Amino acid sequence: MIYFDNAATSRPKPKEVLDAFNYYVTEVGTSPGRGSYGLAIQASRMLYQSRKTVSSFFGINEPSHVIFTKNSTEAINLFLNGYLKNGDHVLISPYEHNAVLRPIQTLKNKEIIDYTVLPPDTIDYPQDIASLIRPNTKLLISTLASNLTGQLVFSTDMATVAHNNDVKVFVDASQGAGKKLINMTKNSVDFLAFTGHKDLLGLPGTGGLISEDEIKIMPLIQGGTGIHGDSYINPEAYPDSYEAGTINMPAIWALKNAIDYIEDNFDFLSNQESIVLNRILNGLDSIDRVNIYNRAAKRVSTFCFNIDGMPSNTVVENLSAKGICVRGGIHCAIKAHETIGTVKTGAVRVSINGFNTIEEADAFIQAIKELL
Amino acid sequence: MIHFVFYKTSDVFKAEELLIEANITNSIVPTPVQDKAYCGVCVRINDDSVEYANLLLNKLEYKQIG
Repeated sequence: MIYFDNAATSRPKPKEVLDAFNYYVTEVGTSPGRGSYGLAIQASRMLYQSRKTVSSFFGINEPSHVIFTKNSTEAINLFLNGYLKNGDHVLISPYEHNAVLRPIQTLKNKEIIDYTVLPPDTIDYPQDIASLIRPNTKLLISTLASNLTGQLVFSTDMATVAHNNDVKVFVDASQGAGKKLINMTKNSVDFLAFTGHKDLLGLPGTGGLISEDEIKIMPLIQGGTGIHGDSYINPEAYPDSYEAGTINMPAIWALKNAIDYIEDNFDFLSNQESIVLNRILNGLDSIDRVNIYNRAAKRVSTFCFNIDGMPSNTVVENLSAKGICVRGGIHCAIKAHETIGTVKTGAVRVSINGFNTIEEADAFIQAIKELL
Repeated sequence: MIHFVFYKTSDVFKAEELLIEANITNSIVPTPVQDKAYCGVCVRINDDSVEYANLLLNKLEYKQIG
């Protein structure tokens, strides 16, 4: 089996990640903030260490500025529903995932906010964003990389234009978080959402919201926070107030170790995925009927393509029959498909990582040739 | 013994880290019951370390309980 669907979730997970999960469950097995005996204190200590690793990885010095959620979708919803107020205007990139588009559209449908989709050219010419900023524009939202084409979308230049016009910057790093492409402080990012199970190599059930400065917004859910239990509503304690209910500490500890793994093995992972990606792209370039979207763009290790005269679902089905896992359809990214003109056709997405091999790349190219 | 009670849980462990780096003996213990019960934990240190601890932790939000 050849797994090329790492943009959906990375596979396999490093042994270190599985070992960390197993260690937490078997040797600690308690909930942080839910007790003051030794093992519960150890759980809280490990949660702090996890916040520290995550904040440092994204260039933030303050561990308490990491709010853990179950995934990036929850982090995005928490932030957008709490931060945006009546009358606000928002700019979003033309490659946003439905995790951003849908909460934004819902707020618009409720006549709370309005939003503008940035023209695709603004990715290369971010100075043009300035003309789209209104007096009430509060936030610019950009995905770090497209989950469809893999191209890098966010840039520091984009953030600079926003900041020069008193607009805050939110980055959805669901794609590319593990590639060490972003340092919030250096890249002028005010808020960032991440998911743990994609290229951060962690397990499903972890994600988070990180902010440069402490934020005070309405929590998405109310409930037990482990502190200030005498209050009838969540206390204004950051980040605890935004993590009501038992958090997924075994997977958070696994995520901490996944990030440590990435730090320790980054050169290998980065080189390997670059070699495999280029092998595939170059191989497809030599096949006449294959059209790779936004081929020239700088990208993470994801791209999408179609074959002339062959529906994308047929390509996916045939590759699956050969034991190759790629994803067709709309990829939860209707705005991105609108941008590249593939709403009616869908596209075949290939997303690799540092565990893929040259042999797998060659087998994929051969399988495509056999389809034609 | 003095208890340093922090508003945020993460600050408890940030304080623990700072105190250990400074070789100040400390323990993470249940927060003492005062005017009402509290379910969190706090940092307990010896009386003779309080002044130095206050210097180390001056950027954190906490109160002292004797």
